[in-house]
Amino acid sequence: MGRGYIVEDVVEKYLSNLSVPGASCVTGLLIGQSSSQRDFVVLAVRTPQKDTEGQGSPSVSRGAGNSLEHLDVEWVTEHARQVSRMLPGGMSVIGVFLVTPPELSKEGQNTLRRLIFAVDKHISKGRLWSLTEEDVTEKVTLHICSKTRKVVCRTYDVRDPKSSAKPADWKYQSGVCTSWPLLTCSVGLNLVFPVLEMHVLPQDMEKCMKEGLQTWAKQIEDGLCLINGDAMPGEVELLGGQKKNAKAVQQTFRAQILIPMAEPQSERRLTASVKVCSGSLTLKGMVQCRAYLHSNKPRAKHATEVIKRDVINTVSSRVEMFLEDLLMEGEDKGSVGVQQVLPRRVFAPVPGMSLCVCDYMFPDECVSDVSDRLKEMLDWETPEDSIDTSQEAVPEAPTIDLKNTVVQKNLKAKSTLDARPKTPSEDPTEAHKSHKTYYAGVAMAAAIALLATGTSLIYLSD
Amino acid sequence: MVVGNIILRLRGSLEFKCQLDSTDVPHVQKVISRTFEALGSQVKAESLVLSLSSSPVFLWPNKGGHATAGEISPNRPCKDLQQLIQTDDQESSRKKSAKKDKKNPTAGIINLTLMTEVTEPGVLSAPTLLRGSKKHHLLQTTLPMDCVVSVLSSESISVVCGTLVGALCSQLSDMEKVALRHMKGTALLIPQPFHFLLPAPVGLVTVVYPAGVPDSQLETRRKELHSLFELPDDRPYLRRANALHFPDEPYKDGYLRNPHVHLNHPALENGKPYLVQGVYSYHHYMQDRVDDNGWGCAYRSLQTICSWFQQQGYVERAVPSHKEIQQALVEVGDKQGSFLGSRQWIGSIEVAAVLDQLLGVTSKIMFVSQGSELASKGRELANHFLSEGTPIMIGGGVLAHTILGVAWSETTGQIRYLILDPHYTGAEDLQVITEKGWCGWKGPEFWDQNAYYNLCLPQRPKTI
Repeated sequence: MGRGYIVEDVVEKYLSNLSVPGASCVTGLLIGQSSSQRDFVVLAVRTPQKDTEGQGSPSVSRGAGNSLEHLDVEWVTEHARQVSRMLPGGMSVIGVFLVTPPELSKEGQNTLRRLIFAVDKHISKGRLWSLTEEDVTEKVTLHICSKTRKVVCRTYDVRDPKSSAKPADWKYQSGVCTSWPLLTCSVGLNLVFPVLEMHVLPQDMEKCMKEGLQTWAKQIEDGLCLINGDAMPGEVELLGGQKKNAKAVQQTFRAQILIPMAEPQSERRLTASVKVCSGSLTLKGMVQCRAYLHSNKPRAKHATEVIKRDVINTVSSRVEMFLEDLLMEGEDKGSVGVQQVLPRRVFAPVPGMSLCVCDYMFPDECVSDVSDRLKEMLDWETPEDSIDTSQEAVPEAPTIDLKNTVVQKNLKAKSTLDARPKTPSEDPTEAHKSHKTYYAGVAMAAAIALLATGTSLIYLSD
Repeated sequence: MVVGNIILRLRGSLEFKCQLDSTDVPHVQKVISRTFEALGSQVKAESLVLSLSSSPVFLWPNKGGHATAGEISPNRPCKDLQQLIQTDDQESSRKKSAKKDKKNPTAGIINLTLMTEVTEPGVLSAPTLLRGSKKHHLLQTTLPMDCVVSVLSSESISVVCGTLVGALCSQLSDMEKVALRHMKGTALLIPQPFHFLLPAPVGLVTVVYPAGVPDSQLETRRKELHSLFELPDDRPYLRRANALHFPDEPYKDGYLRNPHVHLNHPALENGKPYLVQGVYSYHHYMQDRVDDNGWGCAYRSLQTICSWFQQQGYVERAVPSHKEIQQALVEVGDKQGSFLGSRQWIGSIEVAAVLDQLLGVTSKIMFVSQGSELASKGRELANHFLSEGTPIMIGGGVLAHTILGVAWSETTGQIRYLILDPHYTGAEDLQVITEKGWCGWKGPEFWDQNAYYNLCLPQRPKTI
């Protein structure tokens, strides 16, 4: 008994329109949701090109010929990780696809197996919530022959490294996600993490934040979730009220998360604990959260799970991005004692569907950067005015020291931003950076801007 | 508890976290006060949520008492909340006897827990990260909030919510005072609330004591409170052991408390009952895995008396075991070393000696040469229960018992004795114990009319 994948028509169109010149191979991701009974695929995205040297296999170096051995698995997994960050709760990378010429079909199966395990491993890294027994751990691999366009669909249980391929059904349908219920909420954060050993090295900050966020994530995971103001028992069907033949419409549910104000102490202490710290990290603000459920009899417990996971993911993603950014720019002089703005979440509609994806904008980026990224990561054009940047308000800008030099630097940064594309080869300052970071160009410019605004005047005062 | 009132108990933990940039006292005090002030704001925030225990109901007290359940609107009387509580009464009613527990006020307590809504929309913007680099001491703990309010059952939910938030604020303020008073350097003793049911008209009060400071060192504070509440200054009301034991919280040690309250008292012409005051535990044969069947009755009566002194707050030491009782007698020279580990009986004199040695309690000894004389001791016994109110150990013939009260008529001379029998060997089954008379009223024929009896009447120490 294999799994059954219900796939949106647009995916079929996308896959058949993929330009696969000659004897090259194309890899990509399959995005959707898995439930215990059924699985849904709503998007397929090819792995973006690594360099701008014209067309050709994006993940196979030129001249390597037809072998799949030169497939850059890391590149594929990194793309998967970046894409995962752009998906609201409920949606995730549930599989990979591979288009090969007929002679490589057999080897392609092995590649797919390697890819799916690697992708799952990479996107699970740094995850602050835990999988439950009810989570589906089967992921799908799709092989497409470039000549015959024949499709072979198999699944692997990524929890078991020795698992073997199981055949699965791949069926196209229209309107798969038109009635997927949407859950929304906005979560306020006011977290203070003590830093026992204060170095300005991002690695130490990262460790400190990770530990603090882990505790917070557990509180959210264990918290109570109300849906539309109601504490529903987990087994209640969310869409219970709908008539069978009623027109499929997307319902929106408001989620509220309640947690105890503090965890009672586990040990019988008589005095408050005292720690000598050399600094602290304060994370404050509000995050907008969204999650989608499938329409196959979703229950209240699934709803609470997906929205909670989105809450945790959005906070950890942007902290990760912020730290990655810091790591790139190296030592950040002068940014201690300054309130730094984390990337804020913006939403963009998926063309032709009632779903949306998200992205994170650094403080000095603009909508066109988001649009570029969507093209790079998800391979579709998004008109700039359809990108919703209003969900998370821009924090009040710290007062800028109006030295001329600073203002000039700012302007320079802005002009760098507007120029495109931002590939490593073009931007000379990028030479030393890892080719794996897609946000390289934009982030670098943003980092310059951050340094510039680093002279601003919010210092930690008692 | 006032009739027509409902008691609401709100518990939860608040996180207390503050950064001390220096350890000099004025700075520390300023920071601590500021932290308590911030907690006060947290408690008044719209994101505060009260969870009604054992129910799917949540209340937002700072949003006018708005609730999750549709049937509960803020202007409904708070007694409506009780109907929403899903108790496991179905289970316990099967175990309870036909003679229903009249004195059980469990129905009147509504338990609530503190929670916060993280999704409460504020005017916050997208997240920012602030890195501070000042060296500091981080003080961190959780405050064990425990507020109790007594309100009219007809009072509206929104008003009751306001009362609860007010109680939280005033408890925070009490905690701040206690924390500052007992602070040494960076050591902050955790303030802990205790509830006491004081005699009318005072009623229910909550006092905050610092953790780790024994009652013996808090006498000054108790003196202040005794004077504030106009309490007598010769008996304890505000020691930690005197704290109110809520009916819905079972005792964890497994002993029955005050089984006598479940009995009907005898109605004597022109007479009334004079009973033990306060709380004691029922100690009897075979408990604590000690097989003392046939020889330990006086030991058990002594244990019951010790439990009384512990629960009224006079002593902090636990109820002594048979071994410890024997050890004490050897120490005072009353018995030889060979006594240890033996199954020798003890009498009232030994009981008095142990009470003195282990608890510092003095006793009066009453002697009757014949059991029939006990019938005339009504006035003396009544006076004992009025002034001291301690359980009495009586030994004579071949038996020892505990007298918990006397019902006596001055005019007719009729007398009954409330007896707690240590010879019971069964389990802690209240129904059996009360129905079979292991705790029950006996007439003067209960005593061996020809044997002589000694009674040990423990005296309350004059202390608060």
